Amino acid sequence: MSILAYNGGIVIAMKGDGCVAIATDRRLGVEGRTVSIDFERVFEMGPRLFVGLPGLATDTITVSQKLRFDMNLYELQENRQMTPKTFATLLSGTLYEKRFGPYFIEPVVAGMDPKTNEPYVACMDLIGSTTETVDFVVSGTAEEEAYGMCETLWRPGMKPDELFECISQCVLNAMDRDAISGWGVKVHVMEKDKVTTRYLKTRMD
Amino acid sequence: MIADVDEPISTGTTLVAAHFKDGIVIAADSRTSSGSYVANRVADKLTKITDSIYCCRSGSAADTQCIADAVAYHLAFYEMQTGKPATVEAAANVFRNICYKYRDDMVAGIICAGYDDERGGGIYSIPPGGCLVEEKRVISAGSGSVFISGFLDALFKNNMSKEECVDLCLKAVSLAIHKDTSSGGVCRMAVITKDGVERKLFLNNELVQYEG
Amino acid sequence: MSLCPDLPRPGFSFDNCKRNAALESRGYKSKGFVKTGTTIVGVCYKDGVVLGADSRATGGNIVADKFCDKLHKMSNKIFCAGAGTASDCDKVTEMIRGQIALLELNSGRDVRVASVVRIIKQYLYRYQGHIGCALIIGGYDATGCHLHSIAPHGSSMELPYLTMGSGSLAATAVLESRWKPDLDLEATKKLVRDATAAGILNDLGSGSSVNMVVLTKKGNETFYPYDIVCAKGVRSGLYDFPSGTTKVLRTKVIPYEIEKVEVRGASEEDEPMDI
Repeated sequence: MSILAYNGGIVIAMKGDGCVAIATDRRLGVEGRTVSIDFERVFEMGPRLFVGLPGLATDTITVSQKLRFDMNLYELQENRQMTPKTFATLLSGTLYEKRFGPYFIEPVVAGMDPKTNEPYVACMDLIGSTTETVDFVVSGTAEEEAYGMCETLWRPGMKPDELFECISQCVLNAMDRDAISGWGVKVHVMEKDKVTTRYLKTRMD
Repeated sequence: MIADVDEPISTGTTLVAAHFKDGIVIAADSRTSSGSYVANRVADKLTKITDSIYCCRSGSAADTQCIADAVAYHLAFYEMQTGKPATVEAAANVFRNICYKYRDDMVAGIICAGYDDERGGGIYSIPPGGCLVEEKRVISAGSGSVFISGFLDALFKNNMSKEECVDLCLKAVSLAIHKDTSSGGVCRMAVITKDGVERKLFLNNELVQYEG
Repeated sequence: MSLCPDLPRPGFSFDNCKRNAALESRGYKSKGFVKTGTTIVGVCYKDGVVLGADSRATGGNIVADKFCDKLHKMSNKIFCAGAGTASDCDKVTEMIRGQIALLELNSGRDVRVASVVRIIKQYLYRYQGHIGCALIIGGYDATGCHLHSIAPHGSSMELPYLTMGSGSLAATAVLESRWKPDLDLEATKKLVRDATAAGILNDLGSGSSVNMVVLTKKGNETFYPYDIVCAKGVRSGLYDFPSGTTKVLRTKVIPYEIEKVEVRGASEEDEPMDI
């Protein structure tokens, strides 16, 4: 078994028209056994900047704390907010530093530029190879299922409400075909003046 | 992976070096392979070290290029400090030191050859493992050498003319190119005498053809 | 633990290696890295060099990126096409680009292709093939136009036309049959396009579109993409879900009060420097 499938979990991020959404499941398992149903694997790193760290849970926590530290240091030194792109570069560097003994996480970054409100999504492999896309990114154990859903449902120019329905249905249906993801879903939709967090009703099996 | 493009690149080679009346001739084939894939069919395995010293490389391409770069740097510095051209023996010893030091980590078989005013033409062989052997007549190295070493010993004569020597080397490399799968392409040569280095190139259709 | 920990040392960290090896010995395999899969092509012509690359990145059998950029700018007139482990190619070229920029600023001259090649091959050789990036480096400098390739172990060669990556066999077939010395620009671009397209169509690791860059003494001209060889089909219906389909348990809104909106362009030309 792959170590990335030890705890299970899925994260999807999508771009819309003037908005970005990131969705995650809430299960923490130890192989097949569900241990927790309110595990956080998506972190709010700043106003309108989220990062999802699906993979091995211990590394999810370690890396999230390390990123928080590095980001605080950056904001104290620079006296400005970090843009999502800069954040992705920081994360990529953090992962590549461990090129020969990596953290077992495949991160997803979603955010909006603090100044221009430009939506941004990116995903990485476990050693920091960054993929920036114009549509969506997915990562986690239900990756293949989620790719199928997103390729079908995503379309350009979605408004926040449409984006929410789209990403929710993608994550819900992808999860239904993955035994080790699920048990609740959390969706964050970022707009220029607010972030809406919704908890979805899902199957609990 | 379907192809062998991910294999480390190595020069499964034929190298020949021979003395003649006024100096030495070195010759090599031009095939660089990566597994069974020919990564380069016109490679130059005769690498310049100083103005009058060349080396012939066989083994891992990365290792031998790195060694050649290091020795060239070393000798350039040495020539500046001493104010005179390095001897072939000195160059060969620098090669030997590096090859011996890293004998467990590198795959490199090198012939160091050239001309210096102190001792005339010189040919030194540094086979994998890092020992140093001076050759007074003729030597072949690389995977193709098994096909031609007897041929060279039989036909080599002391104090040949340049033309005779070039002809012998060309015949030997041609034979190896025909027999050895890891050798191929063209035949590259260098004639090193007190007047300097003369490079020669024999295209595949200019190689000596043997019937049968 | 001290309150003020030392600054982390530069370079690779091997902190996780022991843990990862222990996990592996218990049967928990690591996952493969994203590979570029790749067909990259470089061709010299009479006034310069043309580099081409496909735009697919693969992670196992998943297409990780359909439009990735494998042509990395090293300096104004030198570009580098990368194949192999995507992260290694990105990071190595990014790091060397920094060194090259400093070299150019310190010397006040355009750096040579040979220098770029030498810096990269010595870096790769140090890591004995563990950094898995195969590169084609092409460019124009004071000594004319040059095209080199570097294998992951650190060996290099200079040739008038080159291919690398998993699609290199298909691309080589095109180049070997059609390349001639002193081609003109249009013929070269067509040749590079066709060689890359051969990789895209015949190699499973290569796909999507052909990106291209032309390097001459005037500088660089990029074509992103030059040609989309395989485009996604047009969707005939809409699969939108009506608002309210998804059952929501709980909603939390974090509003941001916007006091002032000020948008400053990010382009460098906007701010002239005063002296």
